[in-house]
Amino acid sequence: MTDFDVIVVGSGMSGGWVAKEMCEQGFKVAVIERGRAVTAAKDYTDYIDPWDVEHLNRKTAQDLEDHPIQSTVYAFQSYTRQFWVNDHDHPYETAEGTRFAWLRGYHEGGRSIMWGRQSYRMSQIDFEANARDGHGVDWPVRYDDLKPWYDHVERFAGISGSMEGLDILPDGVFQPPHDLTCAELDFKAAVESRFPGRKVIPGRVANLTEPTQEQMDLGRGRCQARNHCFQGCSFGAYFSSNAATLPAARRTGNMTLIPDTAVHKVIVDEATGQATGVETVNIESGESRVITARVVFLNAGTIPSTMILLNSANEAAPNGLANSSGQLGRNMMDHHSGARGSAILPGNLDKHTFGRRPNGFYIPRFRNHTETAEGFVRGFGYQGGAFRDRWWTGMYKEGVGEAFKASNRTPGPWRIGMVAFGEVLPNEQNHIRLHPNKTDKWGFPVPVLDVRWGDNERNMVRQAIHDTRAMLEAAGGIDIETDDPETAEPNEPGRGIHEMGTARMGRDPSTSVLNEWNQAWDIPNLFVTDGSFMTSGGCQNPSLTYMAFSTRAANHASELLKEGAL
Amino acid sequence: MHDFTLHRRQMFQGLIALSAVGGLAACGQQQTAAKGDAPEPPPPGYFTPEEIGLISAVAQIIIPETDTAGAIQAGVPKTLQDLATEWGDEAFQLYWREGLTGLDAALTDDAEISFVSLPPDQQLSALAAYDTSVFAGDIENGFYRDLKATIVQAYYMSEPGATEELAYEAVPGEWIGCVPLSDYPRTWAT
Repeated sequence: MTDFDVIVVGSGMSGGWVAKEMCEQGFKVAVIERGRAVTAAKDYTDYIDPWDVEHLNRKTAQDLEDHPIQSTVYAFQSYTRQFWVNDHDHPYETAEGTRFAWLRGYHEGGRSIMWGRQSYRMSQIDFEANARDGHGVDWPVRYDDLKPWYDHVERFAGISGSMEGLDILPDGVFQPPHDLTCAELDFKAAVESRFPGRKVIPGRVANLTEPTQEQMDLGRGRCQARNHCFQGCSFGAYFSSNAATLPAARRTGNMTLIPDTAVHKVIVDEATGQATGVETVNIESGESRVITARVVFLNAGTIPSTMILLNSANEAAPNGLANSSGQLGRNMMDHHSGARGSAILPGNLDKHTFGRRPNGFYIPRFRNHTETAEGFVRGFGYQGGAFRDRWWTGMYKEGVGEAFKASNRTPGPWRIGMVAFGEVLPNEQNHIRLHPNKTDKWGFPVPVLDVRWGDNERNMVRQAIHDTRAMLEAAGGIDIETDDPETAEPNEPGRGIHEMGTARMGRDPSTSVLNEWNQAWDIPNLFVTDGSFMTSGGCQNPSLTYMAFSTRAANHASELLKEGAL
Repeated sequence: MHDFTLHRRQMFQGLIALSAVGGLAACGQQQTAAKGDAPEPPPPGYFTPEEIGLISAVAQIIIPETDTAGAIQAGVPKTLQDLATEWGDEAFQLYWREGLTGLDAALTDDAEISFVSLPPDQQLSALAAYDTSVFAGDIENGFYRDLKATIVQAYYMSEPGATEELAYEAVPGEWIGCVPLSDYPRTWAT
């Protein structure tokens, strides 16, 4: 007899989905979360007005002391620091000559509270990419295998977007899209006219623009256009585990959330080769405890899940659990986002916006698709926005007195900003490993990250900058600013906050960690459905894909449990 | 926050009283700039009363009282006092102290005369000329640029700056991507 039917390690983006699906199938589920329980009243800061922001939102000495790495992320503010880890409590190292920004929060809901909410499907083109150009191994699935699960998660999560009919970025189950601004509509017209293979579309984002009854029954409401999402949303208007999947799991009566509890190992019965549970450490007391279940899902995040498996090595699996392929910890990917551009878009001075859109525009990949590319395979997409300049330009301009004040009261010109997100190739050399002797204060080995981008990523960033300039010029942009396309480098690994790939799925147990159901080849009742399963990364923001695979894997596990196969 | 709300209420009562006797804008601009008389002076802190006087005078010239609050009425000197006292480290405090001393000397061309002792029209012309020279690149003064940026930020993040001078919607309720400027003619505060 086990303590639970299912253990889910981690309550974030993917773990919440596994919990929901398994609870709804009638299984008793333990969701083990290393961080604290989160409540809207205690943790969300979405009602802060500008005049309540302490010290003009400047980072304090304490912020820089406690969060030297986390405080560099755009979503770290004086009123969101509670969602980012203390870097001293959660150390990691990088191999000599490499850099990695590991940006994260440990609490109920994980990064689903702070995520950027951009939600795009991967396409058949992405699922075929490895097979076509030979990087990494072939995905064991194709788009049609995932399509019903994308539908399933989009319907429940609530994704706003427009139907575009693009093969590179499949349409989905969408709530109404956010309008483009007047300047963005002009930009769209100019880009699509000058470059017929390119499209400028509203971003697809996990914010409710027309909530369904199912969503409202969970206490979720329509997006109020505040753009305070990183602060938590008291309306539950964007998808997070906290607003959506965990409440759905909780209302079944089948979920037990166990906070403040870090999983250090997956325990395997060497006689049967099956996982029997996990070894945990209470973050507050340091007390160890074994929790047992029939099935274990790892959803701790790509690096932590991989580290747990590496740390679970035993006599039968000396290089880490589920690692007979030797691929565990390898093929670390992210998205590089080094190509930024901005310009003033003349005109539309009699137009304005209302509300704060928690979203922007999106330009789907066109390189190595509708347009050729030299020096790299795969491609990149863009996110951006165009708004009228606000008062903060007044911080840096000439003038005093009534005329100066009046000039800030009137909106400035429309300014566009955009950034490319590019695909990173799977590469066995990019890996994570356990530090041989350093541990964190709970005795868990410190990860060593050994990741560097190569020529493909560099050449892609430079092309993206060229393309940015060309599009800004086509739209009549002035004061165009970009990096130098001849010398620019991809930004540091980790900055995309899309780390993935270190327990890849594949068709062959000798070259992959997981099968097509996110099930460990070596241990049939062990599943991994956070970003570590990703066989390639596409250039799309990946969370929606983690959700789709998580529900697909959970339903498969459920069938196996009901058949008695697990 | 509670204190600030109270403070705001008192300030409005004061403004209503002033406008009842007429000439609110002109009166407010001239006199507050000269005397730096905030509705409530900033609390004691790192900056001396003299330094607060200079900050207040400069701030009020950059953002004077018009049909809406000026920098002083919006509490900018208090925000800067709190910033230096509660947030700034020693290096930050020293940078500001030295910067203010240097600015005071530069604005009057005479170390014996303080900027705040000048008549209001001379304060305005001296600061306007100095500001022009800095932004034209004729004078190098990174501190003045920082001071101005901080004053401007503190003003537009204040409640009167955001909600009365600019337009602010805590909960817009919806997003509309393209509206006539005439419907929403003011810069959004956020």
